[in-house]
Formats: sequence, C-alpha cells, structure tokens
Amino acid sequence: MALEMKVPAVGESITEVTIAQWLKQDGDHVEMDEIICELESDKATFELTAEASGTLKIAAVDGETLEIGALICTIEEGDGAAETTSEAKTTGGTAQVAEAPKATGEVLEMKVPAVGESISEVTIASWVKQDGDFVELDEIICEIESDKATFELTAEASGTLEIVAGEGDTLEIGALICKIAVSEGAPVAVKETAAAAQAESTPSATAAGSQTYATGHASPAASKILSEKGIDPNSINGTGKDGRVTKEDALRAEKAAPKAAAAAPKAPVAAKETAPAAPAGDREQRHQKMTPLRKTIAKRLVSVKNQTAMLTTFNEVDMKPVMDVRKQYKDMFKEKHDIGLGFMSFFTKAVTVALKEWPAVNAMIDGDEIVYNDYCDVSIAVSAPKGLVVPVIRNAEKLSLAGIEQEVKRLALRARDNKLTIPEMEGGTFTITNGGVFGSMLSTPIINAPQSAILGMHNIVERPVAVNGQVEIRPVMYIALSYDHRIIDGRESVSFLKRVKELLEDPIRLLLDV
Amino acid sequence: MYDVTVIGSGPGGYVAAIRCAQLGMKTALVEKYNTLGGTCLNVGCIPSKALLDSSEHFHQAKHQFAEHGIEIGEPKINLEQMMSRKDGVVGQTTDGINFLMKKNKVDVFHGFGSFVDKNTIKVTKEGGETEEFKTEKTIIATGSKPIMLPFIEFDKKRVITSTEALQLKEVPKHLVIIGGGVIGLELGSVYARLGAEVTVVEFLDGLIPMMDVTMGKELQRVLKKEGFKFHFKTKVTSVKVEGEEVMIKAEDKKGKELEIKADYCLVAVGRRPYTDKLGLENAGVKVDDRGRVDVNDHLQTSVEGIYAIGDVIKGAMLAHKAEEEGVFVAETIAGQKPHINYKLIPGVVYTWPEVASVGYTEQELKEEGRAFKTGSFPFRASGRARASMDIDGVAKVLADAETDEILGMHIIGPRAADMIAEGVVAMEYRASAEDISRMSHAHPTYTEAIKEACLAATDDRALHI
Repeated sequence: MALEMKVPAVGESITEVTIAQWLKQDGDHVEMDEIICELESDKATFELTAEASGTLKIAAVDGETLEIGALICTIEEGDGAAETTSEAKTTGGTAQVAEAPKATGEVLEMKVPAVGESISEVTIASWVKQDGDFVELDEIICEIESDKATFELTAEASGTLEIVAGEGDTLEIGALICKIAVSEGAPVAVKETAAAAQAESTPSATAAGSQTYATGHASPAASKILSEKGIDPNSINGTGKDGRVTKEDALRAEKAAPKAAAAAPKAPVAAKETAPAAPAGDREQRHQKMTPLRKTIAKRLVSVKNQTAMLTTFNEVDMKPVMDVRKQYKDMFKEKHDIGLGFMSFFTKAVTVALKEWPAVNAMIDGDEIVYNDYCDVSIAVSAPKGLVVPVIRNAEKLSLAGIEQEVKRLALRARDNKLTIPEMEGGTFTITNGGVFGSMLSTPIINAPQSAILGMHNIVERPVAVNGQVEIRPVMYIALSYDHRIIDGRESVSFLKRVKELLEDPIRLLLDV
Repeated sequence: MYDVTVIGSGPGGYVAAIRCAQLGMKTALVEKYNTLGGTCLNVGCIPSKALLDSSEHFHQAKHQFAEHGIEIGEPKINLEQMMSRKDGVVGQTTDGINFLMKKNKVDVFHGFGSFVDKNTIKVTKEGGETEEFKTEKTIIATGSKPIMLPFIEFDKKRVITSTEALQLKEVPKHLVIIGGGVIGLELGSVYARLGAEVTVVEFLDGLIPMMDVTMGKELQRVLKKEGFKFHFKTKVTSVKVEGEEVMIKAEDKKGKELEIKADYCLVAVGRRPYTDKLGLENAGVKVDDRGRVDVNDHLQTSVEGIYAIGDVIKGAMLAHKAEEEGVFVAETIAGQKPHINYKLIPGVVYTWPEVASVGYTEQELKEEGRAFKTGSFPFRASGRARASMDIDGVAKVLADAETDEILGMHIIGPRAADMIAEGVVAMEYRASAEDISRMSHAHPTYTEAIKEACLAATDDRALHI
C-alpha cells in the first residue's frame, strides 16, 4: 500500500514551496518521522518528515516548485517487500487498475461556505486541481481568499471535478464553486492503461519524466554547444522528452557551469582588424535562480522603501563603559548563566527602555490607525545561509541580560540550521541589525515592515574624542535609527537614539532605571 | 595568403569553402575542371538523377499511362534531347555553385591544384601555366575516381565507367554491368527502362551488400520484374572489345565458365580515392594501405593544418557525408566543436523504387548480439502507394528489444530517399518506435508506412495490415 505525501499547508499566505534538497534517495528505506526532505517557501525553510516507514518514491525533484497539496513522494509501506508488479502499477499511475471507478451518476455541487460573520464574499485564489481531474474526498482542491484570511477548500466527495468559478472570481457566500461527478473507486487513465500495461516491454513509451535510455541524450545542436563548453551532457537535467537535452538546456548549461572553459571560437580572421581587443581574464557569467525567500525579501525591501517615509538619524556611542563592564564580569556572568556576555544584551535592554519612553518608535501603522505595542518584541536580523531572517525575542523588556543572551543564541543557532519557523519570525515590534559584525562603519538600515523603526549597530573603532576637555582615544560605535517619519517625528527618533546612547555609555542607568 | 584553401569543388569541397567563408576566413577553392561541383554535380548524382527521372517518365508512359486512362500511343525515345536536358540540369546546378562562391567571396582557381609544400598551393592551368599562392590551412576534397580493373580493356566507348554511361549516344541493346552496387543499379535502371537488356554480374551473393539484407532481396525482386538478369557469386575474368561487341568472360562459384556478349559493358565495381599528382608527399601527408588519406577524429591529416574530407578519406562515398565533413572541418578550424554521427548518415539508391537506410542493419545487430525487434510494412498495403501504382517495397524498422529505441530504418519504396529523413531525425533524438507510431502522419502519404512499421515494431500493432 503506497502512502502519498503531499505538500503540507505551512501558513495561510503560502501557496507554493520549492524542494530545497532531498535528504533521502529514491528507493531508500525511510522510517516514520525521519526527515526526508527540505522545503523552502518565501517565508521560511522547513523539513518534511516521513509519514510512514517504507520505501521512498520521489515524485518531485530538487529545485521543483510545488503548490500546497501537490504530490511530493509516495512511501511504499512494507519496506520494498511490495511485489514488482504492484510497483509498476504505482509508477504507471494506475494503482488500482482492477477497481475502475464507477460513476454513481450523482453530481455534487460545492458552494462557498460561510467563513465568518463579517465575511460576505470571497475570491478564488487558485485552483489546486484542474478541471476534469479526479479528486479524492477531503483532498484540497482550491484556495479561497477573503479580506481577512485565506483558507482551503476540500473536496466533499471523490469524483471528477468540474470547475465553475475561475481563479480570481469573486463569489458571494453560498455561490457555486464547482461540481463533482461522484464516483466510487480510483481513477484510471483510460487509454494510457493499455500503454502502461505494456510498459514492461516498452518502458520508454510511458516513462515520461523518469529515467530512460534516452535521458541525458543531447540533440545534435545541444551536443555541439556542450562539447564546446566542455560540459558532460549527463550532468544536465534535460527538459526534453524523457530527459533529452535540448538546445535551450545546453545554452542554459553554458551559463550555469562556472568553470566551463569555453573553447572561445577563434575570432574570424577577416574580423581581426576591426574587433576590439578582448579583455584578458575570465569573463564567465553565472545565472542562478533566486530562492523564494530571497525573492520575497527583495520584493519587500523595495516596497518598504516605496511605502514608508524612511529617514535615518545617527549618533555615536562611547563603548568604553560597556566594554569595561564586560571585561570585569564576563567570567562571573559565564559561570552563573552559562552564556557569554555580549553586546546584544546591552543594546536590546537599552532599546526596550528607550522604547517605553518613546512608544511611537515601537508602534506601527494599520490603515488609518496607529497600533501602539505595550511590549517589546525585538527582531534580531540574522544572516542565515538562505538569506536574511529576523527571529523575534519576545517580551525583551521583561528579560534579564542573561535571558536576552540565551534567546539570541538559541535563535541564531536555529537560523543557522534553517530551523526557524514562521511563528518565530512573525510579530516583531522593533528590529536591531548589526552590520558591525561584518565591519560596517555607517549604514542606513531599511525598516522591517510593518514595524516603524530599526536600530543599526556598527563596528567599534578607536577614535580620538573629547572627554572633559581632554582628547582621549575611546572605542566608538556609530548607531543609526531608520524610522518611518509618518508616525515618528524627529523629536522621538533623535531622543530615542540619544536615550540608547546614554544607557550604553552609563550602563548603571539600566539598573537604576533613570 | 589565404586562411583556408580547399582543393576540389565537389559537394564536400564547395560546402567547406562556403562554411569557411561564413566563419570569416579568407578562402580559396581550386578546381581542375572548368565547372564546379565535382563528380556529384557533373558526372554523378545530379546527371544520373536527371536520366533516372526521364527514363522513369518514359517507363510510366509506356507501361502505366494507359491504366491511368491516358492514351498517348507508343512513346518514343529522343536520347539526344534526354541527354541535353540532363546537361541543362547540370549546367544550371554548376552555375548555382558559381553564384554561391561569388556570394560568399570565395576565390575560385580553375586548374590542377597540388601541394608545393605544407603552406604553398600550385595551380596548373589548362594551358600549362602555373600560379602559386600561400595558405595557412588546406582541406583536401579531391574525391574519387571509378576503379578500373587491370584485366579489363577500357576503351571508354564500349567498355565504360559511370562517366561515359551518362553520355551514351544510343540505348544499348544489351548492357552488361559488372558490380551490383548503387551506381551499377542506378544506371542499369536508366537503360533497362529505355529498353536495354541488362545483365548484372556481381562477385558477392546479393545486391547492395552494405545495406540491410531485406533491401537487397526486395530490390532484386523488383528489378527482375523489370527484366534485369543477375549472376551472383560470379567473378569476371576478362572483358574484351571485339568491334561493336564486348565479350565478357566470367566464372561462377563452382568454377563454371560463363560467356556474355553485349554491345556495352559498364564497369561499376567501386571508386578509389583520387589523390593522383596532388603532391601529398611534398606536404608530408600520409595515406593508408588503401590509398585513402589518413585522418584523425578531427579529420586532420598527418600534417597539422591539412584536413581531408569526403571520398578521399575512409567511410561511405556519399555526397552528403562529404558535405557534413566539409562543415565539420570548417567549424573545427574556427575553434568550434562540431559532431558527425557517422552511424546516422543515410544511404540512398535512386532506383525505382528507391532504397534508403540509416542506422544499424539487421546483420550488424545480429553480429553485435544485440536483442532487437523488427517491424515492417509493405507499400502494397498503403493507400497512397496504391493510388500512385507504386506498390513495390517495404518499410522496415529495427528497435531495441528492451528500450524500444529505433536502431535502424530501412525503406525500399517510392520516395524512400526523402522519407528516410524521418528516421534520421528520430534517431538523432533517440526516439523509440512507439514515439513515431504516436506521431500524426498525414494521410494518405508514403510516410504512413514508416508509422505502420513502427507500430508493428512496438508491439505488432500495425493498423492497416
């Protein structure tokens, strides 16, 4: 019995995921709950665990983008003991050939369900199933959006789907969405059945998408291009029938192969006189698809710049007092709390104090309203392998320095391992970003929407400064506050930053709350 | 100083010159004859095809028009007109090459080209005057000449080669052809249709021995119907001209002597690479034991910068093979990395019905011990073939027993030469027999026979038989 594993719903607004990496190979034995694959969405990366023990049959390969509910793999339960015949049937997609579906003649009409008191109409966001597809009872067939939330519509019966409302259509509650011609049993691809039955003798005939004798075979033009670029045709995922390598594949491969030492065609002799001298050195370009996460970040960063009145103010902090405190108590702190005393805890603590005094900096705009937050959920920008992520330290204002340090460490480790979940990244009220760890001296960070302000930390450098009329060499950090001028005025932003400065230059104030 | 000089203007040579010019090289083309185009255009494919078509029309007029309901009385041959039309076709085609050379700015030298040294080419003109020029690279494309057997008296009047056979002033009463290969059968067809009695003497035991065995057998059957006589496993021992007659003596496999009298004897036992007086030794170019210019995988000779293509090197002596090689060398010189799949160069015999094949033959697959399946479909069962009264022949497909990949396609039938392209495309993409059988083929067409043969190979699913 084969279990079909589908892309799970991972969040309301997420409609598709990309297979980042298979951790198991096709045909491997997997244990229930074992991690078999990594998925990426535009919000986060998560892991897929096996829903049963058995033999894995991969349906979607690395890099493939799938919609929620799409088939990822099947798990043949019973650890490969399955007879080859049943296996063949599964791959042919006609698992229960014997039990052909019987149309019952009944046609079920599916209507827009009532989804909440205040919601009177919904929009069809996307159809997961196609018109004419066979759908199973409770299978997700469509995604519906309202102005409040997105939800999924599941089939109310098994049978053949007839779509009535198209994607983008707006329907009132109770309106007809689709019909299902109810049938009993499983689908059989009518004519293909015959071909599938013969698949044993002629595998090429039906094995679209799987490995065949022709997989990786390059067309004459593709073969020439690959040969010139020194690329092995077998190293390419051909998009042609049965994995044949097309000319387009070859042209693309040329760009993707980093060390494709192009046997640069000798410049035509006649053109020699006029052709400008080619610059020396490697001039290869590489094209790589953006991950959904990076695409989303890119989109969001631009929209934030367009939709806020962003402004940055700077100040400088004499870091000597904080450094002195660290120097003095570092070991004791470590011993007591089992964690290092870093700068992040001082900054986070100072920020929470300043946010309480200048609540607009901790607020956000929602339509025509300003939402003030009486708590400080501080987002920490972390550069993770897949892109920038911003996990949140909840109620940072209530945490001790040690508590903050522990939280920072925990989140940073999860970010590094791509284990952050969406809830861990949602709902921050203010962000701290530390460009200084990479050596930045000054920067104007971009607000992490829908928040209204972000604090930028920078590198600590020694600078001559005037202290009590004397020139002294002090460790100095420039700090920056980018803020949305629509709700934060200069008085608040500058005062906020000055307050942070004061708290850092005299950490005792944190203790005394002055 | 030329970047590239091509010696020989046949389909290999002139195509190489065009491709070199396209790639920006300063190119020279040297041709010994007054007209460009080499054997193929002047005394090969084109004139023989012209005569094949003319004679086929005559044949149809004589034997099939009445059945079509066309009454024209007894058709007569005007051989002089037939030959002059042929010359017209040749003239037009060679003029076309002149135009292509001008268009691509290839400098053409008329005269006998030879190597003075690796980078110097001498052109000896008809009057004896010579001209020399320098070249960085050279492509030898001098082609081939008919093989003359030493014990045969060639007078080029009664005992002739293909060249003379294209210019006869009369239709032979009895034409004896030594050799059952492509050239002999094509020219034999021409004169058989025009009324000659044709006898073929072949040393091996079948026709067109390089092709799939089914093709030879089927062709033999069809030609026999047209009046061809065959002597297989028979060795010619002497050919003597006696006035207006030729006496051919031969010995069959049992040692029994055979005497055939004829008014013409066409010797078509093959062709040899033509490198006479080319001065290969001056450049240091080596030839192999069969007189062919030795080349490596890049078609470069033993001397760097000197390449050879076409009939002058190993492989099938086919115009389109030479053409592919011409492009291959030009692109190689330009630093590209082209490919030729020699297994997928189709072979064609322009008899009627035509014979065409590509890929492995049944014999080759058996020798390799490869498991294969075959599917065939006779043209007799094709609606299009019946409509045009071209019911002889068969399309045959060989496919891998396990993967269904097409390994060979062999067609004897109407327009087989054109149809074989489908097999070449399919095999270049490693299509399976079922792939072709699932592609729509227009109806009614001859190519439906290919689809049906593929269906037969797939799972014995041919529909129309």
